[in-house]
Amino acid sequence: MKRITIDPITRIEGHLRVNVEVDDGSVSKAWVSGQMWRGLEVILRGRDPRDAWVFAQRICGVCTTVHAIASIRSVEHALNVDVPVNAQHIRNIMIAQHSVQDHIVHFYHLCALDWVDVLSALKADPKRTAQLAEAISDWPGNGEKQFKAVKDRFGNFASNGRLGIFSSGYWGHPAMKLPPEVNLLMLSHYLQALDYQRKGAQAVAILGGKNPHIQNLCVGGVATAVNADNMATLNTERLEYLRTLMGETRDFVHKVYYPDVLLLASAYREWFKYGSGVRNYLAVPEFPQDSKSTTYDLSGGISLEGNVTAVRPIVDHRDPFLIQKVTESVAHSWYEGLSSLHPWQGETKPQYTDFREDEKYSWCKAPRLDGRAFEVGPTAQVLAAYVAGKAEVRQATDIALLKAGAKLDDLGSTMGRILARGIRARVMADLSLVYLDRLTNNLVKGDTVYANPAEIPDGEFKGVGFHEAPRGTLSHWILIRDKKIANYQAVVPSTWNASPRDDKGVAGPYEASLVGNPVAQPEKPLEVLRTLHSFDPCIACAVHMFDPSGTELVKVKVL
Amino acid sequence: MRIVIVGAGNWLLSDEGVGVHVVKYLTENYEFPDEVEIFDAGTLGLSGAYALESADAVYVVDAVNAEGRPGEIRLYDKYDVMMLDRIPAKLSPHQLGIREMLLVTQLRGKLPAELVLFGVIPASLEPGIDLSPAVEMSVKTMAQMLVADLLSRGLIVRNKAVTAAGIF
Repeated sequence: MKRITIDPITRIEGHLRVNVEVDDGSVSKAWVSGQMWRGLEVILRGRDPRDAWVFAQRICGVCTTVHAIASIRSVEHALNVDVPVNAQHIRNIMIAQHSVQDHIVHFYHLCALDWVDVLSALKADPKRTAQLAEAISDWPGNGEKQFKAVKDRFGNFASNGRLGIFSSGYWGHPAMKLPPEVNLLMLSHYLQALDYQRKGAQAVAILGGKNPHIQNLCVGGVATAVNADNMATLNTERLEYLRTLMGETRDFVHKVYYPDVLLLASAYREWFKYGSGVRNYLAVPEFPQDSKSTTYDLSGGISLEGNVTAVRPIVDHRDPFLIQKVTESVAHSWYEGLSSLHPWQGETKPQYTDFREDEKYSWCKAPRLDGRAFEVGPTAQVLAAYVAGKAEVRQATDIALLKAGAKLDDLGSTMGRILARGIRARVMADLSLVYLDRLTNNLVKGDTVYANPAEIPDGEFKGVGFHEAPRGTLSHWILIRDKKIANYQAVVPSTWNASPRDDKGVAGPYEASLVGNPVAQPEKPLEVLRTLHSFDPCIACAVHMFDPSGTELVKVKVL
Repeated sequence: MRIVIVGAGNWLLSDEGVGVHVVKYLTENYEFPDEVEIFDAGTLGLSGAYALESADAVYVVDAVNAEGRPGEIRLYDKYDVMMLDRIPAKLSPHQLGIREMLLVTQLRGKLPAELVLFGVIPASLEPGIDLSPAVEMSVKTMAQMLVADLLSRGLIVRNKAVTAAGIF
């Protein structure tokens, strides 16, 4: 039996460590540890609820926007505040486009290099690469000259021994299976993807004021003044620029990202067999369409034990089961005691020990719904929306499963998550433009209201803001008393997924998904990274306080 | 001709943010012609690379982990930056520094024709938004060096204090 510790996990957001035991070439046990804690929940106590979203958004700059949305919704829920339809549309555009750029970055810049061998790209024939690419897509960036240019430039680097950001990759690992031409194709797209991530971010910034960290929310709406004739507000010209940018990112998703995911999945079909994990899925509905948030465009739902078509729908953010049955166990987490508290009673009392597998070993708490561990993320959302019959989701999923040679429940696997993320990105790219149409149509009808005034009354109010974020179900739980925040707890997607064991010893999704993972070369645990990266970890979000943490390889000083 | 002056670094970590302090100083004290863009790249890493790509000449200002006394300014030309290991490697697996940004830009075939890096040796990397005294002094020096270089290209850069005093 071999023990491997990977610390830090790179190509994620945040600080994560994993311990695995490998027997006979596959993982038998795993422990995953969130290595950093920051205190946002503590910082929020005592502050004005109308400001909560500004602070909460700073939980993470990669998952920017999402915490602002969940936070503002928690206050709106607590105080029963309506949100004008224009504001819903504006928020929905930002949510959808943020997802587009986030997923592009994740696929190319965070997870592709687990599957793509860039050194192998140097053996590719640019002409054959172009032929392969042109058979898949009519994207204009797939010409022979372009591939040759990438190959030559990268060849210059490599021959000087300067791999730059590609140093320390597992090039030549036996688990790398793509032919040189596909590797060159992917490398070339990796470089082009940077432009489209930027365009997506710029699109969000047109509405949000800036990105990372939008500035345009307020309790009861948005602060995005709309006036067709005014240079200083959201006017016709700005909306057209937004449409252009989102059209460009949509093209990239449809013609480059989505086809690349399908290509990858069909080449690595065996990875639908690994990484399934806890097999319980949770997603909340998203994209509210009316001012009281009663109807949502994408349905949420819960399914258990891999029965992916038996979805118990969640139709809105007031579902009593969902609201009442969330608990967070600290049994194996670096907090005082062994409690499993509901977020409204949640505590943040740190108690650091070193990494003790049978005791406490992570800054993540262990969220559970009705006592069960749930995986959240694109797989969960795609399954819920698919089963609910959403046409665009069905179409994107059916095409993907056909090309990849997979079935619906294969979405619950390492490759399944990557496929689901590509499906989700495609749907989000289309919805971005749909919501822009709805916004402009509403403005044309003469409705220019974008915010309802909101005062904080005296008294005690409890609220929860849900959001189906790029990494899954996000919730912010607020307790308001005497016009101030009395308690605040964030249960974020990566907390659900990176969860350590709970009070019953049940492992969290990352930990469970690693069991049975092949490991061909223990000193180069590429396959472990494949499964972890498939979740798109964001650990700044998952843990909530600062503490020093050090490793033998790199000392990460946390402030 | 398009020229970009890029200030990189983490403004919350004292001298690590010197690049950002320099661009703020330039913006507050000078008026630049249309050919010149002042870009606060902060901690954008790869996301900030686009600002360099459409430029003909780029000046980068950043803290460097080099031998010497705090506040000392080191100039690195394009060859130094791109070809040799004279620029320190990234500080952590999560941090993509200027070097990584430039290598990716080169790989995309969009490296500017001219590139100069102004490196400043830091005294402190502790949390804080003020520069240590030695590094604070280097800000004005670098600003003057940058402006002098722009003037030598025939560009008109005005000192705001001088303009405000009506001496023009």
